[in-house]
Amino acid sequence: MSIKVYLVDDHRLFLSGVKAELDEEFRIVGTAFDVDTAIEEIRGYRPDVVLVDVHMPDGGGIAVVEGVGETNPDVKFLALSVSDQAEDVIAMIRAGARGYVTKTIEPEDLSDAIRRIHAGDAVFSPRLAGFVLDAFAGAIPSDDDPELDQLTSREKDVLRLIARGFAYKQVARKLNISIKTVETHVSSVLRKLQLSNRHELARWASKRRIV
Amino acid sequence: MIAGVAGGLADTLGVRDGYVRAAFVTLLTIWGVGGVLYLILWIVTFDKVEDREIDPVEPTRALGLGLAFIGLLFLMSAIGIWPNSVLVLTAGALSFGTAAITDPSSPGPLAALMNQGVERVSKVRLLIGVLLLIGGIVMFSTALGQVFQFGIVFLAVFLTGLGIFIAFGPWVRRLLTDLSAERGERIRQEERAEVAAHLHDSVLQTLALIQRTDDPQRMAILARHQESELRDWLYGTAPLDGVDLVSTALKRAAAKVEDDFQIPVDVVTVGDHRVDERTRAIVAAATEAMVNAAKHSGVERMSLFCEVEDDSLEVYVTDQGRGFDLASVPADRKGITESIRSRVEKVGGVVDIESEPGEGTEVMLKLSL
Repeated sequence: MSIKVYLVDDHRLFLSGVKAELDEEFRIVGTAFDVDTAIEEIRGYRPDVVLVDVHMPDGGGIAVVEGVGETNPDVKFLALSVSDQAEDVIAMIRAGARGYVTKTIEPEDLSDAIRRIHAGDAVFSPRLAGFVLDAFAGAIPSDDDPELDQLTSREKDVLRLIARGFAYKQVARKLNISIKTVETHVSSVLRKLQLSNRHELARWASKRRIV
Repeated sequence: MIAGVAGGLADTLGVRDGYVRAAFVTLLTIWGVGGVLYLILWIVTFDKVEDREIDPVEPTRALGLGLAFIGLLFLMSAIGIWPNSVLVLTAGALSFGTAAITDPSSPGPLAALMNQGVERVSKVRLLIGVLLLIGGIVMFSTALGQVFQFGIVFLAVFLTGLGIFIAFGPWVRRLLTDLSAERGERIRQEERAEVAAHLHDSVLQTLALIQRTDDPQRMAILARHQESELRDWLYGTAPLDGVDLVSTALKRAAAKVEDDFQIPVDVVTVGDHRVDERTRAIVAAATEAMVNAAKHSGVERMSLFCEVEDDSLEVYVTDQGRGFDLASVPADRKGITESIRSRVEKVGGVVDIESEPGEGTEVMLKLSL
């Protein structure tokens, strides 16, 4: 059975382009141009994966992810955006998106990302990997759970290789580990990012602006 | 003003609400009749909150209502509900005088006097209003003067000042509001002009270039270039003049390679450092590595990754292209890798090149800070 995909983007031309590209391989169950329609229809259609734009009127992709997440936590989100602003990217991931890719992504890479998300993995574009490394660089351990906010050195290695443009398969070979292990590392980084406390990321963001 | 009763009544009767308020104030001096009336009307009309169309004031109707009001006063006087003629007449003169000269829709008494365009009616009204005010002030001062026997002059000056303040206050305030509104508008226009100028120099030029290009690759590069420039401008990530960062220098170098060779470079940077003599050498070496990859690897895109940690700077230029066998490098190509190496080693850095035929190439540049 093919994966049920739902598309949300306020840019109609882009939406129809992506729909045409994905139509063969996936079952596109619906599309929406705005946040309210998207939340309502996703709750009704229960797609497996939702491709969601970040910048839209009325709260944007974050509103969609959070709105659906409350009622249907099993729906998985992949953020797809022209924006590569660190704040946008991190905010989407923290809202609950399982991955973030930019709109310049090749069609086959996008299909691959959707399959990966559906299988329960996280999808990190090189740029997202860079942001995450940046976000955790110099992060101090929080008082309540010192382990939670730190990345292991292996996780950092994986992120660095992704940031350098390597695919998961190549990362696995370079580090002499299996693809499954790479996926596990990436998923745990995603979880840490979603759970890390707001204070540190805010500190990081302000630091970036001062530099 | 309190519960909107006067305003509502004014709308219903078709009279300006200032007059209705004046009537309430006048009646208030007759043993508080105005206040009781106000409360009764408030309760009666409690939930009739609606916006009415204001009927145009008909002079005859206004005159009739005015006469009816005066008749009511006479009636009260006749049946003995009358505290003190001076008090009621003073309050009436002052409140109606104020109501006559303050009109929310006219630009103020002084402007009305000077402006030829203002209709005659309002000049007449203004005259009557001023006369009423002066009369009220005189009556009030005389009455108070009789009570206190002194300070009449002082009181007269004070009351005249108060009268002027009441008469011209709204006009002065409106003048000030107009001034600040005008200034705000001017600032907005200047900003709009600046945005227009910038968009014209950048986005419009690029759009024109894109229209004249047939090569889709070239179009994509132009669009990408414009996108990053616009983003810098919008979000202010462009560096201040004179303060340059390694990340900015690398992005600029990557953009140049994109332009020259029509090959997109995905730039990811983590952390940052100022450009100095040593880091500049790394940027130059990275640029050469990118040019190399663009010329020889045969790829359609490449990656540039730069990570600055507390004590080190690392730059990776990675392509997934045809690669080469390090042991059997052609002489011309060796020259380029050597020039990368010598640059970096001169500032105390390390170069590592990994490549295998068919597996792509990665150039690593490392510098201890």
